[in-house]
Amino acid sequence: MGARSRVIGRKGPRESTKRIDQKKHRGESGIRPGLKIRTKLLLLVVSLLAIPWMGYESVREMERFLLEGQEQALELTTQGISSLLGNRSDLFDPGVGVPEVIGRTSRPLPTEIEQSLSIDAAASGWMSAIGQLTNFTGFGLFECDRDYQPDSLAVRHGVAIDPEQLFAYFEVDDDIIILRDPDLVSLNNSDQLRMTVQAGSGAISRYLFTTTEPGRVSIYLMRDNWREAISGDAVREVAGVLDLTERGYLIKLRIPRDLLGVGARLKFEIVDVDDISSRVVSRVISTEPDPTQLGIGRVRLATPELTKLIQPLYLSEANITIWDRGYRLRAQVGSIFPPAREGFDLKSEQLAWPFANIEAVITRFYEWILRSPARGLKDMPVDSSQEDYRLLGRVLAEGQPKSERRRYGDAKLIVTAAPIWAEGSIDGVVLIKQSGNKLLSLQHRTLQRFTLLFLGVFLFLSVAILVFSTRLTYRVGRLQRETEQAATPEGRLLKDQIRPGARSSDELGSLTRSISGLLHNLGQYTRYLEKLPDTLAHELHNPLNVVNSSLENLQYHHHELVDDKHLQRARNGIGRLRSIITSLTEAASLKEALSHEQEERFDLAALIDGCVDGYQAVNPKHRIVSTRVAGPMIIEGVPDRLAQMLDKLIDNAVQFGADQGLIVVNLRKNADGIELTVANDGPSLPVDIVDRLFDPMVSSARDARKTHLGLGLYIARLVAEFHNGTVVARNRAGDRGVEVVVSLPAARVATR
Amino acid sequence: MATVIAVVEDDQDQRDNYVDVLTAHGYEVRAYADKPSAEAGFERELPDLALLDIMLGEDMDGGFDLCMELRKLSPTLPVIFLTARNSDADRISSQRMTAWDYITKPVSLEFLVARVHALLRISEQLQQGSPESSVFSVGDLELDEKSMLVHWQGQPVSLTLTEFWIIESLTRNPGHVKSYQTLSDVTRQGLVERNTINGYIRRIRNKFRELDSNFDRIQTVHGTGYKWERDPE
Repeated sequence: MGARSRVIGRKGPRESTKRIDQKKHRGESGIRPGLKIRTKLLLLVVSLLAIPWMGYESVREMERFLLEGQEQALELTTQGISSLLGNRSDLFDPGVGVPEVIGRTSRPLPTEIEQSLSIDAAASGWMSAIGQLTNFTGFGLFECDRDYQPDSLAVRHGVAIDPEQLFAYFEVDDDIIILRDPDLVSLNNSDQLRMTVQAGSGAISRYLFTTTEPGRVSIYLMRDNWREAISGDAVREVAGVLDLTERGYLIKLRIPRDLLGVGARLKFEIVDVDDISSRVVSRVISTEPDPTQLGIGRVRLATPELTKLIQPLYLSEANITIWDRGYRLRAQVGSIFPPAREGFDLKSEQLAWPFANIEAVITRFYEWILRSPARGLKDMPVDSSQEDYRLLGRVLAEGQPKSERRRYGDAKLIVTAAPIWAEGSIDGVVLIKQSGNKLLSLQHRTLQRFTLLFLGVFLFLSVAILVFSTRLTYRVGRLQRETEQAATPEGRLLKDQIRPGARSSDELGSLTRSISGLLHNLGQYTRYLEKLPDTLAHELHNPLNVVNSSLENLQYHHHELVDDKHLQRARNGIGRLRSIITSLTEAASLKEALSHEQEERFDLAALIDGCVDGYQAVNPKHRIVSTRVAGPMIIEGVPDRLAQMLDKLIDNAVQFGADQGLIVVNLRKNADGIELTVANDGPSLPVDIVDRLFDPMVSSARDARKTHLGLGLYIARLVAEFHNGTVVARNRAGDRGVEVVVSLPAARVATR
Repeated sequence: MATVIAVVEDDQDQRDNYVDVLTAHGYEVRAYADKPSAEAGFERELPDLALLDIMLGEDMDGGFDLCMELRKLSPTLPVIFLTARNSDADRISSQRMTAWDYITKPVSLEFLVARVHALLRISEQLQQGSPESSVFSVGDLELDEKSMLVHWQGQPVSLTLTEFWIIESLTRNPGHVKSYQTLSDVTRQGLVERNTINGYIRRIRNKFRELDSNFDRIQTVHGTGYKWERDPE
């Protein structure tokens, strides 16, 4: 298009900043990909999760420490008991001990009675004498195979002793009672009681108690298949009675202690036959732990005096046992199980508080993290005698106190053992077992409390950091917004300070103040630049006046020079200089002048019509027409200034429009307000300055003899902006020329 | 006795040019470069008319100060401000000083002489209190061409010479549009931009509105010029 573009004044830096902006938008400005502040802070919060891990570790450490302490305490206790019992061989005399029937460590000792019981006495008398019966149908002591039904067979059993005899009492619940059929030779095909005795020498004898009818039972010494008797003669020393009851039957036995001898072990088995035709043994309930292994466990040789001695040493959740050299239990106190299992059940500890649900969730949560000690207790074996025997063996062999920690699944057991010395030989062993689960429970509760505390702290910190980071992000965002809003995309300053957040004393506030100060300085500089033309014009006026008045004087004194061509050219030059200065001052003073203007209500359409007529008169080289919808368009504004704006737009159109071209002024109303368009034929807009056309001192001038300061469109912009409007220039469709569009907001349109 | 004109201008070239042209037109000229010498000169001899530059050297408002001095000596002495400053604030100040005219540089000497003539004539008229006044009135407006006195609804309107000429031109043919070109010629300043005319009109309206807030006689004919609205019959 051949247009020579000329930019007066500032140039360059704005272009480069724009380029940076564009780069930024394309993401090529070298910004490293990364996280936002809030995300970073939240990640920091996540690192707080190390605290519960530390807590867990410290609780574990504490547990170890406590277990050690517990172990040491137990060792001391064990050694205390062992020295207490030292040199008391009388207590370990096998003859003194009371043989106990059933080899379960946790069973109560036989009841000692003064008066012997009559074999024919009523069951109630026996029961009152024996006291508490051990229930073989319930939990714990009775172990049976899976398909066992308590309704089919249940046994309650108790033992009492007097100095001469042992009394055993059995209450059996049996739905179908099948007594011995005298016609059958085999003895193992009816409901019966079996007793196995292992004498101190190790010899085993088997006694069968059977009967064909209620009353006295027959007692036979049996072979090991329990089918045939060794001899047809019944055993006379032992007496037994079977009585039918509502639920089954009961058996009373009287066994002389001489028959058992010292250190004997013994086992009872209740045999149940339910099918009358096949007479097959359907179930055996044994007083030994393992019913499938029909061997014989160890029997206790209880020494009541020993029991009395250690009774005051009762330890909570500890089992103190005294053994003799023959691995016979002589006395025991306490149980490794807490008095009530519910003691470990955390739910029972719950208080009825309103956040029960939350509590339940939290409980589930930390039970998921840490196994409940209650669960651990379930793993605690009822009988750990095998391990006990092993430990006893080591203590007896080495003569040194021993301690060990055992784990059964989640159950922890601390076992300490110490030998009891008597004159250089070992009489027996003190063995103490204590559950470590009490500590676990403590640990659990500590963890629970810690978990709650941590959750609280974690939540609080998270929320605090979230709030803080949100606030920070908001402030940074606000600063960014304010900074971006401080200038137009073209780089024109809109405000010279940032107020929000500037009073904050922190670094962000300081940054805000810095940016605000920067904007302020920039604003001052901008104002200085804006004032520069005015100052310049003022300074130019005086020398111009000298030249002008001198020329006039010259002309006055030398009339022959009036038509001198050089004088004429000088006058032309002065004229051009004058118009430059005038337009400089016009633009410079417009801003200030606009602020004093009073808005009034007037008909913009009439103004445009009038102006267009006037323009046509002074610009005969162009055709200037107004196309607009009929009727007035009343708006609120400053008519003089809008006319001035139109002047500038027409000047621009005339200057850059094609000779003899058409200039169309169009006014129309649309949804957004009023649109005033001045379109001219001619070349397109120069691409390089298209977005700065409305800045001062920007022009694409073609004629060097005319003055083009590029202030006209700037003035148009100032007037449009004063009316809250905008002005843009664009190429017309088909590159037929240029149109400048002034848009005024709808609020300008007078409502009535 | 020759008419004495005082010229106060700090720029020697301009001052000499003023002196040359005024002397050539038969006036006796006293030229001063700064405020103290001018004040001393006014003490010695009161001029018939004063041409004052507002900015005298470092003294931004030296011309205004001198004008006030002159007003003390003679309330009716014609004063013309010559200035490179073209701001409303200055114009308002000069108005307060009851300056008779306010011309922005560059000044056409030809027009300057014409203005000096006119002002001296008016001054003379006022001093003589001439019986043969040439008052003509348009509605509420009374206009005395010779003494440059304008009354609106009986109250005096204080106008500068240029403003008076514009009013005179507008009211000469009430109802007729005076184009920007015509008004530009009337101001006798050489090339005058539309915007400058708009400025004059605005100031004139403001002066009338100070007396009569409903003043709406001067109508804008957008794109063309102004007209003096005839009184509604």
